[in-house]
Amino acid sequence: MSASLAAPARLTRVRRYLLHNLGLNLALALLVVVVALYCGVYFAQQGRFPGNFELTSTVDNTMPLVLAAIAQTLVVLTRGIDLSIGGMMDLTNALAAAHMKAGIGSMLGWSALILAVGAGLGLVNGLLVAYGRLQPILVTLATLSIFQGLAIRVLPDPGGAIPQAYTDALVNTSAPWALVYVVALALLWLGFRRSALGVALFAVGNDERAARANGIDVIRTKLAAYMMGGVFAALAGLVLAATATSGDATTGDGFTLRSVVAVVLGGVSLFGGRGSAIGAMAGAFITMMIVNVLFFTAIDPLYQSFFEGLFLVVVVVLGAVIGRRFRRG
Amino acid sequence: MSEAIGAAPVRRFALDADGRRVAFAVLAAAALFAVGDLVHPGFAGAASIEAVALNASFVGLVAAGQCFVVLVGGIDLSIPWVLNGAAILLVTASLGQNARAGFAVALTLGMGALVGFVNGFGIAVLAVPAVVMTLAMNGVMEGLTLGLSGGLTCGACASYAPPVVRAAVNGGFLGLPAALWVWLFIIVAVTFVLGFTGFGRKTYAIGNNALASRLAGVNVRAITILLYMLSGMFSALAGIMLVGFGGQASLGMGTPFLFQSVAAVVIGGLDILGGRGNYVGVAAGSMSLMALISVLLAVDMPEYGRSILYGVVILLLLLAYGRNRAAD
Repeated sequence: MSASLAAPARLTRVRRYLLHNLGLNLALALLVVVVALYCGVYFAQQGRFPGNFELTSTVDNTMPLVLAAIAQTLVVLTRGIDLSIGGMMDLTNALAAAHMKAGIGSMLGWSALILAVGAGLGLVNGLLVAYGRLQPILVTLATLSIFQGLAIRVLPDPGGAIPQAYTDALVNTSAPWALVYVVALALLWLGFRRSALGVALFAVGNDERAARANGIDVIRTKLAAYMMGGVFAALAGLVLAATATSGDATTGDGFTLRSVVAVVLGGVSLFGGRGSAIGAMAGAFITMMIVNVLFFTAIDPLYQSFFEGLFLVVVVVLGAVIGRRFRRG
Repeated sequence: MSEAIGAAPVRRFALDADGRRVAFAVLAAAALFAVGDLVHPGFAGAASIEAVALNASFVGLVAAGQCFVVLVGGIDLSIPWVLNGAAILLVTASLGQNARAGFAVALTLGMGALVGFVNGFGIAVLAVPAVVMTLAMNGVMEGLTLGLSGGLTCGACASYAPPVVRAAVNGGFLGLPAALWVWLFIIVAVTFVLGFTGFGRKTYAIGNNALASRLAGVNVRAITILLYMLSGMFSALAGIMLVGFGGQASLGMGTPFLFQSVAAVVIGGLDILGGRGNYVGVAAGSMSLMALISVLLAVDMPEYGRSILYGVVILLLLLAYGRNRAAD
């Protein structure tokens, strides 16, 4: 404490920056730690470090969760939660597998249509939350059930086919090209956060009344958040279909809870108004790295969810402890 | 939510609103039986109502635990694997023998209480959000259940619930199945605890305003932990009853109960933000939910249609009485 008094102003500024983005910084630090851990156990097992193939497959496999985590972030920032993300991914995934044909027109047309469907599904959630004044957790639990039902109606049995060209375009398996998407999404987020809508999103999540008093259209902001969430969930459903090269009306189910985990690990506050989509993307990679680490440490895969659950609690508790220390110190 | 309002008029208003919500839930159940009887004559008969009530009793038990934690603005997402773990623990600890039944039941309920304690400790003491804590505990219990049972459903290891437990659940008493008597007892007990004890009053107080309750001398941490322990024990009890009813435990048997318990609590008129509603409504909500499912099954509604209609009905009920007050 006395040291910080004597410290030069520059150090204080660095600390203030770290403090203001504490959740994000902790998430990025955690990502570095788990990647190092992964490299360590990989080296111990294989006698060499993971290379291009491991990087490519990890990034490709994490992309659907990265997109779902961004969708969840947009809604969580408004102090909501979207449990229907899995259902939206089911439905968009099923639509793609059932209807998309080879040929540039069909691929582009259906992609655009499916993204519009995602926006529509998100709009339904948003209307019920903003105009219906219903609790987000209950609304999206109900719409989850509806979307899952619709998905099974569209694609009763797993199957369908995704054109090879579509897979090649979205998921290039020869090199970690998906990293370009990750960087693009991060840049997109940095721009969005400074836009009028981005600022409104944080304001509504921090204090709805204060936001309204300051002339922010709360209802429109919430509608936009849920709609954008729907678009990203649809994108996640498309990438998932492209990765699997076929469709399944239940394949998205697990992503609801995994997107919540990614968001929490990424330092986004479930109480709204605090967090970053970049953190959530890091959270998605952290969850994936943990699965990889468990795989290479030869732990019985049946225990996987035990360690994931334990890890989640430990990270959240440690994050809170570090945050408190940081603020006090 | 946390608006500061005068105590006396609010209490009267809240009781009225609560009464209306409970009446809604009971009416919804009655209406569903009436509709069911139209599309499928005999649906509102005694035998059919008894069958629906029996199914509702399992949901009702789980929903009792969910009701306790929702009343303080929490939620318990760890129900599926606590229930499943309990069912498997009961059959493996008892080895299907009557002599070990008492021990196994006590052990299973203790396991539920322990999981609930960890949930409550994380939420009340370590300040982890309830969604995160119970979600993580669900994973922990899933991993432990799968890992320790070796991923086998107990059909493979040939273990059954002890005959005493099966008789206790399936037996009849005064013309009603024993499981229904258990549920009736729970309804009376939970209603008494919530409505007529200091513990119940403190629970509502915390749900309305945790900070004010703490300043008024309520031990918020201890009560919160206790509520999550109750939820864990009710999930474990439901696991015991289910395995006693069906004889065997299976992996994944707890999964539907999360959605159904939340739905029952919401249909029953509880405010998901806490402080409002009672267990009579939740019990009626469990009946409505099971009546709905039975009607849809009776008319041979395909799976996707049932899934869509669940969602639509819950949305309609929410729109009917689950709305927040208009923003000022």
